[in-house]
Amino acid sequence: MDFESLSADLRSLQARALKEIAEVSDPASLEALQIQYLGKKGDLTAVLRGIGALPAEDRPRVGAVANEVGEAVKGALAVRGAELHAQVQALRLASEKVDVTLPGRPVGRGTLHPIPETIAAITEVFGQFGFVVYEGPEVEDDLTNFQMLNMPPDHPARDLWDTLYVDIPGHLLRTHTSPGQMRVMQTTRPPIRALLPGRCFRYEAVDASHGFEFFQVEGLMVDEGTSMADLKGLLDEFAHALFGPRKTRFRPGYYPFTEPSVAFDVECVVCGGVGCPACSKSGWMTILGAGMVHPVVLQYGGIDPERYQGFAFGMGVERIANLRHAVPDLRYYLENDLRFLDQFR
Amino acid sequence: MRVPLNWLREYVDIQQTPEQLAERLTLLGMEVKGIEQWGADWRSVVVGELLTVEKHPHADRLHLTTVNVGSGEPLHIVCGANNIAPGQRVPVALPGAVLPGERRIERTEKMGIASEGMLCSGDELKITTDAEGILILPAGTPLGKQLSDLYGDVVLDVDVKPNRGDALCLIGLAREVAAATGAAIRWPDIAVEEKGGPVGERLRVEVKEPELCTRFVGRWISGARIGPSPDTIQMRLQAAGMRPVSNVVDASNYVMLELGKPTHTFNGAAVNDATIIVRLAIAGERLETLDHVVRDLTPDTLIIADPKGPIGIAGVMGGADSEITDATTEIAIESAIFDPVSIRRTGHRYALRSEASLRFEKGQEFRLARLGADRVAQLTLAWAGGSCAGGRIDTSPTEPAPARLAFRPARVSKLLGDDIPIANQRDLLRRVGIETEPASSGVRINVSAEPKPLVVDPGSAEVLVAVVPTWRRDLAVEADVAEEVARVRGYEATPAHLPDTLMPAYRPSPLKVRDAIREMLVGAGLSEVVTHALVSPEHEARLKWPVDGEDRPIDDPEVGETIVVTNPLSSQHSVLRRHLVGSLLDVLALNERQGRADVAVFEVGKGYGRAGGEPREWTRLALLLAGSAQPASWNRAPRPYDLDDAKGLVELLCRHLSLPEPAYHADERGFPFHPGRAFSVSEQSEHEVLDGRVAELHPDVTAEWDLRSQRVIVAELAIRGLADGLLPRVYVEPIPRFPEVERDLAVIVDDSRTAAEVQATIARHGGELLRGVRLFDLYRGAPLAATEKSLAYRLVFGTNDRTLTEGEVDEAMAAVRDGLAADLAAHIRS
Ligand SMILES: [Zn+2]
Repeated sequence: MDFESLSADLRSLQARALKEIAEVSDPASLEALQIQYLGKKGDLTAVLRGIGALPAEDRPRVGAVANEVGEAVKGALAVRGAELHAQVQALRLASEKVDVTLPGRPVGRGTLHPIPETIAAITEVFGQFGFVVYEGPEVEDDLTNFQMLNMPPDHPARDLWDTLYVDIPGHLLRTHTSPGQMRVMQTTRPPIRALLPGRCFRYEAVDASHGFEFFQVEGLMVDEGTSMADLKGLLDEFAHALFGPRKTRFRPGYYPFTEPSVAFDVECVVCGGVGCPACSKSGWMTILGAGMVHPVVLQYGGIDPERYQGFAFGMGVERIANLRHAVPDLRYYLENDLRFLDQFR
Repeated sequence: MRVPLNWLREYVDIQQTPEQLAERLTLLGMEVKGIEQWGADWRSVVVGELLTVEKHPHADRLHLTTVNVGSGEPLHIVCGANNIAPGQRVPVALPGAVLPGERRIERTEKMGIASEGMLCSGDELKITTDAEGILILPAGTPLGKQLSDLYGDVVLDVDVKPNRGDALCLIGLAREVAAATGAAIRWPDIAVEEKGGPVGERLRVEVKEPELCTRFVGRWISGARIGPSPDTIQMRLQAAGMRPVSNVVDASNYVMLELGKPTHTFNGAAVNDATIIVRLAIAGERLETLDHVVRDLTPDTLIIADPKGPIGIAGVMGGADSEITDATTEIAIESAIFDPVSIRRTGHRYALRSEASLRFEKGQEFRLARLGADRVAQLTLAWAGGSCAGGRIDTSPTEPAPARLAFRPARVSKLLGDDIPIANQRDLLRRVGIETEPASSGVRINVSAEPKPLVVDPGSAEVLVAVVPTWRRDLAVEADVAEEVARVRGYEATPAHLPDTLMPAYRPSPLKVRDAIREMLVGAGLSEVVTHALVSPEHEARLKWPVDGEDRPIDDPEVGETIVVTNPLSSQHSVLRRHLVGSLLDVLALNERQGRADVAVFEVGKGYGRAGGEPREWTRLALLLAGSAQPASWNRAPRPYDLDDAKGLVELLCRHLSLPEPAYHADERGFPFHPGRAFSVSEQSEHEVLDGRVAELHPDVTAEWDLRSQRVIVAELAIRGLADGLLPRVYVEPIPRFPEVERDLAVIVDDSRTAAEVQATIARHGGELLRGVRLFDLYRGAPLAATEKSLAYRLVFGTNDRTLTEGEVDEAMAAVRDGLAADLAAHIRS
């Protein structure tokens, strides 16, 4: 054995390996080739076994050749390996192709009912101005629903609230959320900023714009200097938050429990104020009633009307929801036809 | 109140268009709800002159006429009335005309003769009530003119609020117009020509109840001739929505609309002894009222009587026996002031509320008793002739001076949030007839009135005194003055700003837990519903719900009987529900009728009951699942809802509320539930409680509600905090530092053993290293015996201070196996 023949063997091993590597067509065979040539018991090792017979000065030269051959085979294996991997992946990916235009697997989600959602929208706006939520009973007593709101028995204004009575003496189904004002005043001290959402009842035949059950949100603010100007400022913010930048107006109204009383109108959301059937050609839509809390009511609430003053307002939730969602018929709300509810997703 | 503008113009000049006037009135607080063109339903009705009137050749009762309508050839019109003659001017409906009630007039043939239109009666035009004769127009009425141009009017529909009874009349509204526009008021010239002898010789009046009838003014007219009112008067009344009756009755109604003073006219001859007595009814007395209903009078009813008995219910309705008839010549006029509360109660008692009683209820200006009597007498003389007796009977002729109401202009400014100078306030008040004068020393301020009066000493504050017009009965406290200032000034002048006063203390929203649960259930695929609280009394019967079950909600363990509405609108909504399940079944039924089989809904709502004479309300969560839990999709098989879906939701709720993993207890009591597919759940932690029943509906109940769904899952849960709670706080456990060990265990037990028993036994014997137990398989069948089942559990072991050794876990597993064998006779499948 001499240097020349050994390096010739190495070169021929390299040539054979590169040829076989080039011809291999699957990753498993490639791995077999790697073991065959470069493994511990592989061909390269076998050839190098003859190195011990060489003169000492030739050994490094053979080592250099062997390194070259090893690197060449390793490189070819890597290149061929990458090629084969790419081929195999391409086949797999092609075989796994799906029609991505097919619809997805449905994820069920229900819908929130527009009444509580409208209440949430209202309380969110006033909440930013420090109003906190209270609730009162729906089966009320006459005292709180009427008398303490400045409507003694036989007061003509009681005609404004057609009442459903129950078989508990002195009790009725509250006709408005206003009795909640009394419950707030009797349990807390000014400064008061309260909201009272809830269900109300009236003796009223059902049609597209009336119902015997409906929801209201009452507001109450009482402090030493709370004025009509505060009311106007807050209601403007509220209207703009819910209905966008529209004109608003106050006009005189009447409630026995506020003095002065006002009605709050916003520019018609249908016609923008030009006049249309929805607004009875007036260009305005009334969205709530309000006023400065009547001194008699403050007195019943245990609040000194000489020191404190405040305002109250009350709005129909369905009315607000109708305007926001263009709901054509009040009956939709309590009927719960899913064809209606599904639209709020 | 309907306000014909041409009539209103008698009392005040109006320069504005109806739309402008409507807006001004609305902004002053007299809301105009509608503007109606009265006469708009006379289309193509013109003024014609009768040229000829001849007998119809084939019909005795018909006439042939020729009519000049101002242009073109005269028209040939057949007419059945007898009051026509050549030269008269009459309303002619041309072919194509439309009359009130959408009645169309076309060219026709009557008994062989063509008729090119129709001559109209007052009734056909709804101008007067005369249906017999043709409406004869004044001689100078312009030929060919559209009738609507001549007699049409604009009628405002004004919503007069209950506190402003003084504005329920033309004079009252004229005052508001004057306040809005600055125009002056013209009162009618009220003067009575008295030709007869002293009224005291004709009429005697005794008021036995001066508290309830504070003033009674009577007048007497002799020799009147009953007939129709002048056409123009009938038109006014019609436009105002009041049906003309006869000249004397119309006079009374006219004065009610004009001055707001209800009066009554009696057939004087029918008043026995010509004596009117105002007293309370006596038990057993009866009266046939003008509507020809015989009414039993209760002793608390104020009546008008003569010595023989009742002749009218005071302020509400007259009696039929003393009604004005065609033969009446003697007229007794009653113009009284009655106690508003008494009149209101009477109206309610007899379910009889008239235009008169509505005005009495709101209170009357004292002097109107005199003015009303005079005005009715004046108009009666003008329209029905006769002679009026001298003077009036008047039980209380002294008319009170205007009330005086002190106020602090600074307080008015403070209430409105704007500094309004005193001079301005005085000017504004003057526009609604309120004069102001300086206050004398010692003046007191009415801050609050009955029934909670508060009168204060103004101290050094500047004070003015408002002289309240006698017609304004609604001004009693300082804030009332502020309202007058504000409304006359106009709210557009009120500034708007956000409050800069103190904020209230923090208060958590009572809606928090409710909203969290709502959001969670919607995320889980359910839709929220809001249903009626008022339901049919059949609901509970149809559910066959035990009357006094243990399904009482925790919010109130004392829930008793159902609350019943005493004046329901319909039997379908006549009681307050105690349970929500029936409401959800109604929702399912409705949606099934619309072809929706898959219904998954929930409601957070109230139940109501009565206990110890007091109402109770509680908030609960109800669920209903029917149809497919997973609707069929191309990439998924459908799966119907079953009880496990409801359990999954209950488990989700428990996790959300930081409650323990719920345990289910079989509830075999049956109705309204499937006795083998119902359970109760009751979990509580330190602050939270969840309590209720979950079940598949009993098939008999499903049938009772006519449901198509074979299986309906329902639940009704009481959850503490649903009404006003906070979500529980989460306390974090440190993440385990040492690995946990999992072991599986298949337990074979007799079929009668429940999963809950097996799981509890494992937990009991697992020792302190056992951290979790989860069922992952349930198997019945070979090689097990028919009475056996296999439950496969995955057990998790761990501890916080070290990695467990195999030996420790083996020991714990051995204890579990031994425990299962000992307690449940279970064996372990290996
Ligand atoms: Zn509009």
